[in-house]
Amino acid sequence: MKSTQYSEKTLDHFRNPRNVGTLEGDDVAVGRVGNPVCGDLMDIYVRVKDDRIADIKFQTFGCGSAVATSSMVTELVMGKTLEEALEVTRSDVADALDGLPPVKMHCSNLAADALHEAISNWRKGIKPELDTPDESVGCACVTGDLPIAGIDELVGKGVYRSLDDPSVLADARTIVVDRGDDSARLAIALTAHTPRVVFMTVGKEPAISDEIKSELKRSDVKLLIESRLLEVKGEFEVEKALVQDLNENEEYELVADAVVLLD
Amino acid sequence: MSERVYLDYQSAKPVDPRVVEAMLPFFTTRFGNASALHTVGDDATSTLDESRARVARLFGAEPDEIVFTSGATESNNLALMGYCLRNKRKGDHVLISEAEHISILNCAKALEKSGFRVTRVPIDQFGRVSPDKIRARITDDTILVSIGWASNEIGTVQPMHEIAEMLTGTGVALHTDAVAAQGLLPIDMAAIPIDLMTLSSNDIYGPRGLGVLYLRKGVRVAPTIIGGGQENGLRSGTEDIASIAGMATAADIMAAEMAQEAVRLATYRDRLIEEILARVPHAHLNGHPQHRLPNNAHFRFEGIEGESLLLSLKDEGISVSTGSACSSKTLAPSHTLISCGLLHEEAHGSLELTVGRFSKESDVDRIIEVLPGVVRRLRTLSPLYKE
Repeated sequence: MKSTQYSEKTLDHFRNPRNVGTLEGDDVAVGRVGNPVCGDLMDIYVRVKDDRIADIKFQTFGCGSAVATSSMVTELVMGKTLEEALEVTRSDVADALDGLPPVKMHCSNLAADALHEAISNWRKGIKPELDTPDESVGCACVTGDLPIAGIDELVGKGVYRSLDDPSVLADARTIVVDRGDDSARLAIALTAHTPRVVFMTVGKEPAISDEIKSELKRSDVKLLIESRLLEVKGEFEVEKALVQDLNENEEYELVADAVVLLD
Repeated sequence: MSERVYLDYQSAKPVDPRVVEAMLPFFTTRFGNASALHTVGDDATSTLDESRARVARLFGAEPDEIVFTSGATESNNLALMGYCLRNKRKGDHVLISEAEHISILNCAKALEKSGFRVTRVPIDQFGRVSPDKIRARITDDTILVSIGWASNEIGTVQPMHEIAEMLTGTGVALHTDAVAAQGLLPIDMAAIPIDLMTLSSNDIYGPRGLGVLYLRKGVRVAPTIIGGGQENGLRSGTEDIASIAGMATAADIMAAEMAQEAVRLATYRDRLIEEILARVPHAHLNGHPQHRLPNNAHFRFEGIEGESLLLSLKDEGISVSTGSACSSKTLAPSHTLISCGLLHEEAHGSLELTVGRFSKESDVDRIIEVLPGVVRRLRTLSPLYKE
């Protein structure tokens, strides 16, 4: 079966998703579930009144089934008690959509999990601040200084401890590690010479002044938050960076030609 | 629904009606086996010989350098497995690029299981392989370099002439999978020192199920299909004369029309790139801005996922392709985009548009008109996209 062979009901929920959006207020909680390997990320917002789901909204980045399952789960539990909502499973959602392609059952069928996460967060009193929900933010400056493997071997071969002339990195895929305002300014300056500049920071936000932060966000720099550089690899010169996604606690390789790590 | 719009020529091309016409007699009246010694067999033999010469002509090759196979995948197998098995006493090391077609990547894995060593040469952010990076990785044990002429996915064209010249005199054989490039770029084997080249019939608007391995005179491979010794012993099995005659006709048409066709397709491509980047915010071009196939426009859109994009365009009657994981069998995003240096979330939001012989200006108009709204709608659903 093709991975996109969806039932008519799934397609209907994809084309006309119910309850799209976000919710705000003291009686709101949110659950976020994502699978970076498959490329799905969903947020489900619940408004709880008298132990019932008074309102529910979602936002989803993902494939057709990711959108459809999110939409369906909001329909299934609207008005239900929290206990009833917690009983809704992934397979209930898939059944309500008249089934999903087998390959999508596991990776894109996360809406029930996001709902359960939202209810759990509501019970724990965790408010929807998706941009800063994590307690680990405060230790950004400490974790940023962990040793990075491969740096010494590749200095002069794509690893830069200082960079006076950004034009030497013309067309190089460059990772600039967050070392404060100077590193951010350098990242912005590099965009004049190469279309690919990644600014990597361990925190939810770069550890730089507000003024440069807004300049950075307007620039062509690709901001990579909650990411730690673990290792720089390459046979003859820098080829890849091993990156830890601190949010998912997963490691992956990012192809790059240069890594700038200001002292 | 309005008229169907097909913008996925890289995945399949229609057979040119002139080719179909030329093939028809070979199914019914001229059905002979080229190995048979009677009149009906002789007709097949002469068709085979004459077709081989016509296919060779399109690529500046000699007729006896053309081996017909069942398609590009088989040609890639015969090139990599066949060359390495036949030449293993010379060495055990093979170089490919990180951006090769899946059939090359998987042949390379199979070679590793048979005791060969494979080095995968990195590509730059535009998908190009530098001849210097290949040179730096060649050792005394290297016997074969295989680099696709152009990417079927992001459309980047490799510096094949530089790579071929760099390898001249080194004793290392050069194979290229030219399937994405054929019919779009001039290929003249008399002018470029390439030893083995993979071609497909459908990619010049011939029938599916037929391919070619170009084998320069003197280059030896071990057959991967054993039988009655057809195709000079390199590819056994009764020849598919109808398809071979079809590919010959397709080659003649291509020889006559390619120059004009490539110019027309390039104007479509340039309009697609210019208009889509102008109309869709936070859109980026993948692949090389200059060194790219005349029929390929490849984008990524921040905050959305490719399968959703594909489904939405399908609802509009538009057929496209994406490098998103969710549309693949393995649920892994395009290896080419990852090797270009993109993050997974970026590779997921990609869209590939490829035009071809039967594309019309109105097809280009339609996607340009529809796409911005589709991207906007998907972004309203996405938690990753903030205005």
